Amino acid sequence: MDSLQLIADLSKTLRQQIDRTNIIRQLPAEALLQRPAPGKWNTVEVFEHMNLSSGVYLNGLGSEFEKGAGAFSFNSEFKPGWLGNYFTNAMRPRANGDISWRMKTMRMFDPPRNQGASTQSLDRFVQMSEQFIALLNRAKRTDLNRLRVISTLGPLVRFKAGDAFRFPIAHQERHFQQIERVLASTV
Amino acid sequence: MELVRRAIERYVPLSDTDWSHVAQCWQEYAFVRGAHVSRIGEVEQHFYIVKSGVQRLSFPHDGEDICLGFSYDGSWSGAYDSFVSRKPSRIDVLAITDSVLFGIRYDDLQRSFNELPAMARFGRLILEELLVGRTTREIEQLSLSAGQRYQRLVDRSPQLLQLVPQKDIASYLRMKPETFSRLRAKRS
Repeated sequence: MDSLQLIADLSKTLRQQIDRTNIIRQLPAEALLQRPAPGKWNTVEVFEHMNLSSGVYLNGLGSEFEKGAGAFSFNSEFKPGWLGNYFTNAMRPRANGDISWRMKTMRMFDPPRNQGASTQSLDRFVQMSEQFIALLNRAKRTDLNRLRVISTLGPLVRFKAGDAFRFPIAHQERHFQQIERVLASTV
Repeated sequence: MELVRRAIERYVPLSDTDWSHVAQCWQEYAFVRGAHVSRIGEVEQHFYIVKSGVQRLSFPHDGEDICLGFSYDGSWSGAYDSFVSRKPSRIDVLAITDSVLFGIRYDDLQRSFNELPAMARFGRLILEELLVGRTTREIEQLSLSAGQRYQRLVDRSPQLLQLVPQKDIASYLRMKPETFSRLRAKRS
C-alpha cells in the first residue's frame, strides 16, 4: 500500500475519533457512567481500555522514532507484516456491522483492574490521539517497514511501525462502535 | 449546574452576571467506582463539588489506608491542601461509588476570585469553614471517647453509615473495626 495514503487515512480516522470524543465529553456525566448491562463496560471504561492498550503502541512508537527513525529514508511503499495485518483485519467489523472476532480482554488492559476510569480517560484519549498524529507526520520521513515496535501480543512479537499505527487505530475504531452501542442502549 | 450555583449561594449571593462568568468554568466529571479523583504525588488541579456518589479521602500508612474523611452529595471534594499550595497531594481521593463531580480548575477559580468580589468572599468563607471543621475534628479526636466519636457521626452524618464501608468509617473515627461493630450493635 502507498505509505503517504496510509498516513493520510490513519490521520483522518484519528481526527474523526477526536471530534467524536469531544462531542461525547459534552454528554451528561451520568450517561457516560451507565452500563448497558451489569458487569459490562460503560463509556469511560471503554476509553480507559483504549488508552491502556494504545498506550503500549504510542510509547513503543515514540521511543523507536527517537532511537531509530533517522537511520531509514522514506519508503513510499508499505507492506504490512503478516501478523500485524492479521490482527488489524481481525479488528474490522463485518459488512453487516457484526464484530467478527470477540476477544477476551487481557488483564493488563481491563480498566477496573487498573487505576479505574473517569472522564479524564476521554481527555487523555484526545491527548494520545494528538500524539499519534504527530508521530504519523514524522513517519513521512522514515521507513514504516524497517522500523519495528513492540506489540501487545507479547515481548516476542514486534510489529512493523506501519502496523503499530494500523492495529491500535483499528482497535479504537472497533471500540468506537461499541461506545455508540453503549450510548444508544442507555441514553 | 444549578447545583453549583446553589452551593455557592449558601455562602454568598451571586448576581446573574456574576454567575454567567463563573458557570462556564465549571465542568462535569464522571468517576467509575474505584477510580481516583486525586492521587498522592500529583498536584490537585480541581476544586470539586459533589453531584452524586461518595468519595473517600485517605492516605496509606503501615499497610493500611488511614481515612481522613468523605465527600458526598453537595459537599466539596478533592485534595484541597494540594489545590491551594500547588504542591503534590499527600492524600488520595477515591470514588467509592460511581460519582459525578463538578470541578473548576485552579486558574479559573483564582481568576474569579480576582475579578468578582462575591467570589473572593466565597473563597474566604470556604477557607474559614474548612479551618473550623478541621479544628473541631482535631478537638474531638483528642478529647472524645470512642463511643462519643461514634455518636457525633451518627448525629451529624447518619447517611454515611449506609454509604461507606464499615472499615473506612472505623478508620475515620480512629477505632478498630471491632470497636465500631460493637458500638453499632449496641445502638441498634
